[in-house]
Amino acid sequence: MTDAKRNKEKSGEISRRAFLGTSAGAAAASLLGKSEGAAAQTAPPAVRATLPGQSAEAADRDIGNARPPVAVRAVQRPGSDLMVQVLRDLEIEYVAANPAASFEGLQESIINYGDTPNKMPKFISALHEESSVDMAHGYAKAEGRPMAVLLHGTLGLMHSSMAIYQAYQYQTPILLIAGRDDTNFLRSQSANDIAGIVRSITKWDAQPRTLAGALDAIQEGYRQAITPPCGPALVVLDTELQKEEAGDMQVPAYVPPQITGISTGEVRAVAKALVAARNPRIAVGKLRTARGVSDAVELAELVGASTSTRATLVPMSFPQRHPLCGPGSDTDYDYTLGLETGGIQAAIIGPHRRTLEGRDVTGIGYGFIREPPTPLWGPYAPPKPSHNDMHADAEASLPAIIAEVHKIMSSSMSNAVAVRSKQHAAANHEAAVAALKKALEDRRRGWHGSPISLARLYAELWILIKDEDWCLASPTQFSSGHNRVLWDHNKPYSHLGMHGAGGIGYCIGASTGAALAAKHRDRIVINIQCDGDLNMVPGALWTAAHYRLPMLVVMHNNRAWHQELMYAQYMAGVRGRGGDRAHIGTTLRDPFISYAKMGEAYGVESEGPISDPSKLFAALKRGVDTVKQGRPYLIDVLTQPR
Amino acid sequence: MKTLHLILVLIFMQQARAQDLGGNAEEGERLYYDFACYSCHGYNATMRVPLVGDASGIMNSEQLFLTYLRLRADQNPVNPKNSMPNYAVSTLSDEQAVDIYAYLRSLNDDPPELADNPVMQEMLDAAKARGKGNEK
Repeated sequence: MTDAKRNKEKSGEISRRAFLGTSAGAAAASLLGKSEGAAAQTAPPAVRATLPGQSAEAADRDIGNARPPVAVRAVQRPGSDLMVQVLRDLEIEYVAANPAASFEGLQESIINYGDTPNKMPKFISALHEESSVDMAHGYAKAEGRPMAVLLHGTLGLMHSSMAIYQAYQYQTPILLIAGRDDTNFLRSQSANDIAGIVRSITKWDAQPRTLAGALDAIQEGYRQAITPPCGPALVVLDTELQKEEAGDMQVPAYVPPQITGISTGEVRAVAKALVAARNPRIAVGKLRTARGVSDAVELAELVGASTSTRATLVPMSFPQRHPLCGPGSDTDYDYTLGLETGGIQAAIIGPHRRTLEGRDVTGIGYGFIREPPTPLWGPYAPPKPSHNDMHADAEASLPAIIAEVHKIMSSSMSNAVAVRSKQHAAANHEAAVAALKKALEDRRRGWHGSPISLARLYAELWILIKDEDWCLASPTQFSSGHNRVLWDHNKPYSHLGMHGAGGIGYCIGASTGAALAAKHRDRIVINIQCDGDLNMVPGALWTAAHYRLPMLVVMHNNRAWHQELMYAQYMAGVRGRGGDRAHIGTTLRDPFISYAKMGEAYGVESEGPISDPSKLFAALKRGVDTVKQGRPYLIDVLTQPR
Repeated sequence: MKTLHLILVLIFMQQARAQDLGGNAEEGERLYYDFACYSCHGYNATMRVPLVGDASGIMNSEQLFLTYLRLRADQNPVNPKNSMPNYAVSTLSDEQAVDIYAYLRSLNDDPPELADNPVMQEMLDAAKARGKGNEK
């Protein structure tokens, strides 16, 4: 026993786990299942009295001794029922959470509200709060809208903070709800200003004092999350508000946010320039929703513009294999419009999160807000805004630009557009085939090698999914990103991009969230899962198994935190010592971890490890077939490092 | 400095394998693993920075290989722009380096040609078919 623990217990401040290990705790626990009266009479008073900061009633409740005093409903219309109705009105499909006392009222309403038990939002059990938020992160990237997460007081919020940080960095909308209770459980799990813990890494927060205020705050949190710059928004709900009688209070009607596009004058100027250009080009970055993607396609087709895309790196960008996507038949562009990315003549770029600098109470910075203290790659130079940038949301601007183009385009112009589009399509096709051929030639190396080449893994997997509706939910930079050249990213959710801040542990949770989105949409989710990442929060596998989520987990098992292995190797080289010791602290050896057994333990059908490349394709096929039937599947593949 | 390196490289290339010391490939395999050479070059030296066969000029001779490893001593700043580590004599002896060289020389990679690889060929055929109707 450590001194700290010894002192803690001496002072009577013992944990719940320690308490259940005591004889008094065992006696109390043994009462579970007995009658209400018997439990009430035999509760252990001596122990209850030794818990400062917790009432005797709360101590009973914590060990499961509490029983309702009377057999009637104390509250006929609990406030939390109205909160669920607000979530329904917002069309929130899922609420992920690890269960906790501070939102027990809301949790009960989520599962029981309504004449038939509530189905939307559905309560999703997560084994860790970091997973909960990562699930919401993956879901929002795939669907372009938030799901909700319930978090317990200070503790759950702190557990989830890295995942919140990454969603903030990626500008991903999430509705976070933290329960707060400073009367009925340990005070160390509460705080006056719970939201302060994550204020620097959320877009907005509120701690309403009334039920009516709580309903408004949930709606405003949703609006804030989806209004550019998008990001996680947090509402702190006191447990009393969840449990109080709502009486005849009505749920306020939801009013969507008014997201501002460019001005009418700018719309006219952009439309005129696109129509007048001999060879227009549209560069497409990351838009907000699938609607924005379809509008970008409509505009490109309308004016016959060749386009560039970021669809191989982020969600919600231009379809990679659209006939207009590529360099086009003529690379001498006379007008380039950027949509959420740079453009030579004009760019429409929505507000950056740096506009929220006032919330950065801890001085974290976020790269572009403040100068880094130690520039790693040369002097820091913030991006120079172009005088042609229009600072408004591109997606909100597109409908007006399309309407204006329709208005001013003549039939002769339309004919020229048709000719130009056909030329672009032919040239882009030729370029795409040539690029693929070169990429395949480059990736022949090590085809028969063991451990298995990652290029082979991506190639064989592609053959099996290319005719399916798929979503690649995992970041791929650690597995060399072969999808970028070997696969076709044509849907808004084809690839969900990076972590947000490179934080490990994101991948399995985000993929599970993407699979929640995919489940009722006849879509499958692919997760090229790094081993180091899975070991952070493997419990998300259970969530995938429990809800029968269509997620294929293909382990990129290189048995190391490989980037760090290379860093350690480099430093040993710089210092001229111990080049054969860089594996210490960077590798997962002795023993090797069995991910197939890990998957099985959480209820996911699994196989592997597979090190023979000739056996890979059959395993991948078993995996894809299983996932298409609506069940997760894990394949442990021993891979080359990168 | 770059010119000097080039001259040295040319000299060593001329000398080629005539001066190979003949390392121990078996020992080299262990060292390749222990020194984490695989982390960039792959377990079979066929990956990101391949060294098998004629994939890399530094494999032209033992001397060239050794020279490349040692020349990096003054090219490794604390914050790297190039991820190839330095291997000074203090951490990797000439004998050990030559063993690694021998191991690398013992490796072969014989991947199927594109036309003989059904997976790759199917990918290429699908890409070609996608553009049907877009011909010039």
